[in-house]
Amino acid sequence: MDKLVETLLQGDHVGALSEARRLLALGIAPERIVTDGMETAMRRLDDKCTVESFNLLEIMLAGRAVSAVVNELYPEGAPPAQGRATFVIASLEGDIHDLGKNVTRMVLIGKGYRVVDLGKDCPVETLVNAAEREHADAVLVSGLITPVIPQVRKLRPALAARGLDGIKVVAGGAALKQATAEELNVDYVAETAFDGARYLEQLARRKTE
Amino acid sequence: MNSLERVKAAIAFAPVDRTPAVPQLFGHAAVLAGMALEDYLRDGERLARCQIEAYRHYGHDMVFAFMDFSVETEALGSLLQYRADQYPDVASYVLTPERDVSALAVPDPAVAGRMPELLRAASILRREAGDEAPVAGCVLGPMTLATQLLGIETALYLAVDDPARFENVLDFAVEVAVRYGLAQIGAGVHLPIVFDPAASPAVVPPQFFRERLLPRLKKVFAAYRAAGALANWLNITGPTAPILPWYPEAGADIANFDYYVDAAEAQKLLPATCLDGNLKSLSFVDASPAEIAAAAGALVAAFAGRGGFLLSSGCEIPLEAKPENVAALVSAARAGT
Ligand code: B12
Repeated sequence: MDKLVETLLQGDHVGALSEARRLLALGIAPERIVTDGMETAMRRLDDKCTVESFNLLEIMLAGRAVSAVVNELYPEGAPPAQGRATFVIASLEGDIHDLGKNVTRMVLIGKGYRVVDLGKDCPVETLVNAAEREHADAVLVSGLITPVIPQVRKLRPALAARGLDGIKVVAGGAALKQATAEELNVDYVAETAFDGARYLEQLARRKTE
Repeated sequence: MNSLERVKAAIAFAPVDRTPAVPQLFGHAAVLAGMALEDYLRDGERLARCQIEAYRHYGHDMVFAFMDFSVETEALGSLLQYRADQYPDVASYVLTPERDVSALAVPDPAVAGRMPELLRAASILRREAGDEAPVAGCVLGPMTLATQLLGIETALYLAVDDPARFENVLDFAVEVAVRYGLAQIGAGVHLPIVFDPAASPAVVPPQFFRERLLPRLKKVFAAYRAAGALANWLNITGPTAPILPWYPEAGADIANFDYYVDAAEAQKLLPATCLDGNLKSLSFVDASPAEIAAAAGALVAAFAGRGGFLLSSGCEIPLEAKPENVAALVSAARAGT
């Protein structure tokens, strides 16, 4: 497993993929590859990445390697929830920035969560429908331009209107980060992908306790 | 002093009658005029009319021949998706990991895409306002053009996987920036602003900026200076503190700083470079005029002893900004000294 962790941290997607194949061939369960391999790598990356020293390229490369491994472990698509939380994530209508969203998705997948990605330019309605369908524990929105803020504010009421009040709303991205959770009418505003992941981990932990 | 004299003086750290007010007021001018943004972005004459109207309305100190970040990539063959009231984005990128940049030719600004419309806007603005106010143009810096040709993720992966090929894209982007910028100067802009948001430490590490982007920005700015640009303005948003000290080497006379960097730090990092910034863009949407006045007043005071300052937002004034907040910025510049 050390070799897998190492290749993931180096962002060596080719190496990580062949290491994951080797482990599978040895009969190691995909779930263990996720928990012992991917999650360990993400935890180390998390420790290294503070708000002050955040190397996006490094994270993207690790993210690409994680994605390659996940695709190998679960060729049918998204990994099963494994009793873990499920999140839906999107950039809202009119906003085409998606790098931060994609990084966040990769970090959460690397931590073993199930993430349903609705892409960019996504209407609130679509997001709420998906949250219901996927039994999401939280709805995650990434906003880089200020005109999406009114849409963010509508999320909680839209979820509540369907009786989905229990679903948390987490916001991130350069435009939303300038506002507080109260101003956005959300449960949490994340400074970075890892900061958001930490909040979501607490949620998931509370759920399983 | 008129706006042109005032901005020139600020750039030279010479005395000014008041701090120049230079909000980065682009598409907001269309919203203010009640025009669909898409019409503004596709018609140079309309763009110029709205800019002049906004200039007369607010009384700030610069007009902008600025469309959006997709002009160059569209002129090179990317397909855009337009929206009535939002900036367009790229629906299909002209470059792919398979398609090499050698397949592209530097576009002729007189005919390619919306470039001629932007040049038309520039010449109208120069003719109608250019004696009293500086006319700024807009060019994408090499890193951002590269990301707009390939898509940002593809571009970043290429930069790591095949640095030599990525550098070819950057070199091509320099040629585009030089030709397009010179055409803007020829059409009447006093200075083409180089926007390179993807060069921000939010996206690439400072070392990457220094090694791969700085030498290329240098070439772009040297060409503008030789062509008679009033000044060189490098506009990168986000947490730029680690890269600001390299701006003078790039040839920049004006450095944008965003709200991530405070005034004292920016002054320390760039003691002899004119700074523009750094009000939070979002505050123009959700703060009150009194809050804008207070934040702007504090900035004006922070630069009172130093000079070399254009009072501005740290990045674009949002489309849906409250007009009274933009007005509050301008009043704060008037009230201070
Ligand atoms: C790259 C970029 C682009 C690319 C986008 C490519 C893409 N596919 O994403 C291009 C060039 C296409 C682009 C276009 C535009 N852009 Co732009 N862009 C940027 C830039 C430089 C970087 C954004 C970025 O990707 N950062 C890196 C990522 C990883 O950071 P991040 O998104 O913040 O994400 C991190 C965290 O916030 C967190 N996170 C993000 N989302 C979420 C969500 C959750 C739930 C969680 C937990 C965490 C999380 O995770 C990430 C890692 O920690 C910023 C400036 C800057 N320096 O920030 C401007 C910026 C965001 N853009 C801006 C603007 C105005 C535009 C345009 C409107 C420009 C124009 N005039 O044409 C268009 C937008 C068109 C549209 N309809 O959306 C403004 C926004 C101003 C505002 N506040 O409204 C900015 C701030 C810059 C500026 N003014 O110069 N842009």
